[in-house]
Amino acid sequence: MNGSATFSAPSVFRRAFSDSIPVMAGYGTMGFAAGVLLSVHGGIANSAFWAAVSSATFISGPLQYLFVDWVRSSLALGGVLFVVLCVNLRYSLYGLSLLETFRGTRLWTRLYLIAGITDETYALEVACRLRPPEKQRYCLYLTALDHLYWVVGVTAGAFVGSALPFPSDGIGFAMTALFLVILTDQCRECANRIPAVVGGAAAVAVFVALAAFLGAAKARAEMLIPTMALLVAALLLLRGRIERPGREAE
Amino acid sequence: MTDSKTLYLVAVVVFVGALSWLIRALPFLIFGGRGEPPKIVSYIGRVLSPAAIAVLVIYCYAGYVSERPPREHLGMLAEVVAGVATVALHWRWRVPMLSISVGTTLYMILVRLF
Repeated sequence: MNGSATFSAPSVFRRAFSDSIPVMAGYGTMGFAAGVLLSVHGGIANSAFWAAVSSATFISGPLQYLFVDWVRSSLALGGVLFVVLCVNLRYSLYGLSLLETFRGTRLWTRLYLIAGITDETYALEVACRLRPPEKQRYCLYLTALDHLYWVVGVTAGAFVGSALPFPSDGIGFAMTALFLVILTDQCRECANRIPAVVGGAAAVAVFVALAAFLGAAKARAEMLIPTMALLVAALLLLRGRIERPGREAE
Repeated sequence: MTDSKTLYLVAVVVFVGALSWLIRALPFLIFGGRGEPPKIVSYIGRVLSPAAIAVLVIYCYAGYVSERPPREHLGMLAEVVAGVATVALHWRWRVPMLSISVGTTLYMILVRLF
């Protein structure tokens, strides 16, 4: 133990663990629901296995729920690509603000800290007042704990879902409800409202246009790539308007 | 489950996992030393997230249009009612699991009625 350390490893761990308890509750239940959804609605065998593998690699709520939809419909990877890009871009911005914090950690540790960032983990990492190297250890414990809660939640849900007779008609609405919940939270902040409206409008426009030629089912399968392209173009065009209210110190 | 389904699963897991990690690692790869991203990049990163979630909501509803033709199901009444209930619960109570489970249960009841 080096001289500058104020906290021993066990006490840093205890701190990370006690901070992570609310995350345990949240990830446990949300993950469980995602696991049930995969086994009941995904239409695949060995759903517990795929639940464990996918939750361990994605580490993302939206992607975990979308995984069920993709598995059901075998959506082309191009559409998947755009969603993954949009969902993860926010985390790379989180990463930017953690560059300093993670500096000097071992390569594998840093790779894991980056891969494991979620909204909840990030919020706790930013709030933590420890200093490196304790802070880095704190972040590592926290990332690992939150990751564990998520994987256990999703896998347990898939087990229970495939063992018990869950009613399945309409259970897919859980994904819609999840996105509505995230959207509701984001729209509490005024700055997010115009981008949300632009996103919704772009998606409706593309879906309606495609449906006229391809029919609704095909239009839905094809809508993501053109929507994201239109969306980015619209956001760039509207940049002056959108940034005006929130012109913080830059 | 056919073999092509297994292949698809493997492809999605590898693809999404690797891509997610790569995107999250971008700032470390590009700005590994020091520095700020161009303003346009941080702008897009900030606004794309709420916009993409709104896209995904529409993507979900587009699925109902194709699976349950509106004319045969009272103009998607079940989807609209359950969606409004989810948002209202969440706006008021802010407990994700409550909003999602009540919204989904309500939907599962409604689709049996309509």
